[in-house]
Amino acid sequence: MAKNLEVIEQSTNKLTLAERQQKKPKKKKNKLKAVWMYTLLSIFLVVSIFPFYWMFIGATNDSSKMFTNPPTLLPGDQFMTNLTNLNESIGIFRVLFNSLFVSGLYVVIALAVCASAAYVLAKYNFKGKKFIFTAFLLSMMIPYQATLIPLFQMMSDFNLLNTYFAVIAPQLCFPFAIFLLRQNFLAFPTELMESARLDGASETRIFISIVIPSMRPALAAASIFLFMTQWNNFMWPLVVLNTNDMYTFPVALSSLMGLSYIDYGQVMMGVTLATVPIIAFFLTLQKQFISGMLGSALK
Amino acid sequence: MRKVMGRVSILLILMLVLGACSSNNSSSEGSGDGESSGKKVTAWAWNINVPVLEEAAEKFKEENPDFELEVVELGREDVYSKLTTGLQAGGKGLPDIVLVEDDRIQGYMETFPDAFVNVSDKGFDESKESFPTYKTDLLSKDGAMYGFPFDGGPTGVFYRTDYFEEAGVNPDDIQTWDDFIDAGKKIKEATGKAMLGLDLNGDDGLYRMMMTQQGTFYFDDEKNVNFTSEESKMAAEKVKMMKEEGLVKDTVGWDAWISAMAQGEVATAPSGAWLSGSITQQAKDTEGNWGVFKLPAFEESGNRAANLGGSNYVITSASENQDMAYDFMEFFTTSEGVQLTAMDNGLFPTLNTIYESEAFTKDVAFFSNQPIWELFASEMNDIPSVNFTGNYAIASDESIKAQSEVMNDKKSIEEAYKAAEDRLKNRIQ
Repeated sequence: MAKNLEVIEQSTNKLTLAERQQKKPKKKKNKLKAVWMYTLLSIFLVVSIFPFYWMFIGATNDSSKMFTNPPTLLPGDQFMTNLTNLNESIGIFRVLFNSLFVSGLYVVIALAVCASAAYVLAKYNFKGKKFIFTAFLLSMMIPYQATLIPLFQMMSDFNLLNTYFAVIAPQLCFPFAIFLLRQNFLAFPTELMESARLDGASETRIFISIVIPSMRPALAAASIFLFMTQWNNFMWPLVVLNTNDMYTFPVALSSLMGLSYIDYGQVMMGVTLATVPIIAFFLTLQKQFISGMLGSALK
Repeated sequence: MRKVMGRVSILLILMLVLGACSSNNSSSEGSGDGESSGKKVTAWAWNINVPVLEEAAEKFKEENPDFELEVVELGREDVYSKLTTGLQAGGKGLPDIVLVEDDRIQGYMETFPDAFVNVSDKGFDESKESFPTYKTDLLSKDGAMYGFPFDGGPTGVFYRTDYFEEAGVNPDDIQTWDDFIDAGKKIKEATGKAMLGLDLNGDDGLYRMMMTQQGTFYFDDEKNVNFTSEESKMAAEKVKMMKEEGLVKDTVGWDAWISAMAQGEVATAPSGAWLSGSITQQAKDTEGNWGVFKLPAFEESGNRAANLGGSNYVITSASENQDMAYDFMEFFTTSEGVQLTAMDNGLFPTLNTIYESEAFTKDVAFFSNQPIWELFASEMNDIPSVNFTGNYAIASDESIKAQSEVMNDKKSIEEAYKAAEDRLKNRIQ
């Protein structure tokens, strides 16, 4: 079975290479076009990088420097001051731990739940399958505001307010991830499953040892998506968490926003710290992600 | 199939374990779950209010050694999200004490009539005299008070002394809004600076101050919509005139407004006393170039006092520790020492017994050594009581729309505010 997999992966790689080679001569034809493209791309690069740069400027300068004219464009020397102030206001390590723990655990469990659901919906036939799938999709249309209060009441009745569980549980079954994974599972050759069955593999084994490993790109994409969702999740953690030491990053950062006085140095420092894990997570899974895109482009 | 079930059960077990360890966690954190522990009181408040509460708790502990206060620091808007959710869920997960702003409090009192503890019943009426009437009226319903007055936002016009000097304008001569507009023209000519920054399509702060100043608001005393009143027309006319004379710099949002002040692009900023904190912190380079005068009146020797912003503390009815919370809040609200710490933290206390103290009479270096707090304190008794009602938020929304239409010359003042009044009446019913 493992060999079968390798065959698939190799063929994917070969095709990718072949495609790359096809494209090369085209590029050479049109140098001027390339120059034009790169100019345009560099403009977009600056536009998309600048907010991050500005965030860094803010994090290293005093709050009042954010409002000077001409604008401050060089990093300042207040990095440590802002960091210490921020740490005093929200307790960075605790908040970072909360966020990482909540998001990490969420990704693992939600991926298990969503992948199983997606697999069943893609590869098995049973009565009511269409109905269940439609129900999942329809549930994406329910705005979260509508479920906020009933969910809150539920958590409160179960005495689960102010727990990590309350933050993680409600979104474990995430319709979009199920949809995304199902579409990818559909493309998985059923013949492979059948031959595994003939070899005597159990259904669980097929799923875990054959289907899952070949679906890594899709799973990576889904987990980036799930991680971002939970990492940026604001309203729900805000409502269910009741003490400062349980806060996740977005909630803690929002607590810096007062009425007439906002220390932008602290805020920018906080935002910078909150961005780093997302970037790290993305870069780790990027390879899987990109090969996944190429792979699906071939089909 | 059995194996699939096996996986499912493993998952279930995993979730149970997860649930178990996190609920352990919560009982050790132990708050907001209703399992309150004797003398512990929890409070929700936003940034600069937190140190004030904490210092007050330290002082209160001296007399009540087993008292304990836990302050949960939240964003200002976030307090309302949590409070509303909690109240809609029947008071679940709420703390004992919550900080609520002036413009929100009546909304909560109307929508959730039993949400907050009646503090008159507990004896707070004794201290009523120590607070301005606009504040006690705000917190009263059927003759009883449901909250503790805390800070206020007496208004004034913050102005750049250097620009005024350059243009030869004496701030003492600005008695009416017409004087203000004339001064603006002179300053524009001499320095090229706009007189003030307004968020023409996003905020109606100046209109609100002008309405309050005239003793009314979006709604009159009988809660009738007030957009087509004489007062509303006068206010809208003045704002429109400023725009037409080119005195207004359109600053979109709070940051742009502060930024315009920090960069010296505007000569004045009519606002609440709390703005001093923002200017001092975020426009450090302009130290010594600021002063304050009272809001200009609509006619000679008319009322120049108004209020913008401010907040109050309430005790939730869901609190299991109401008596302790009340004792602490009564101490907090009426203790001169506590209120002076509030002053140090950039809040303007409404407790009037402290206005004679040095903190209020002193000269403020940042504001060209003017005793600005004295000026603000002298307004407190003249601030008219106004009716925010529970429909403040939607009224504000319509008011901003009307202002935007007027400013963009889409409609005349009469048309725009009549339309806003009709829309608002529809939304209320």
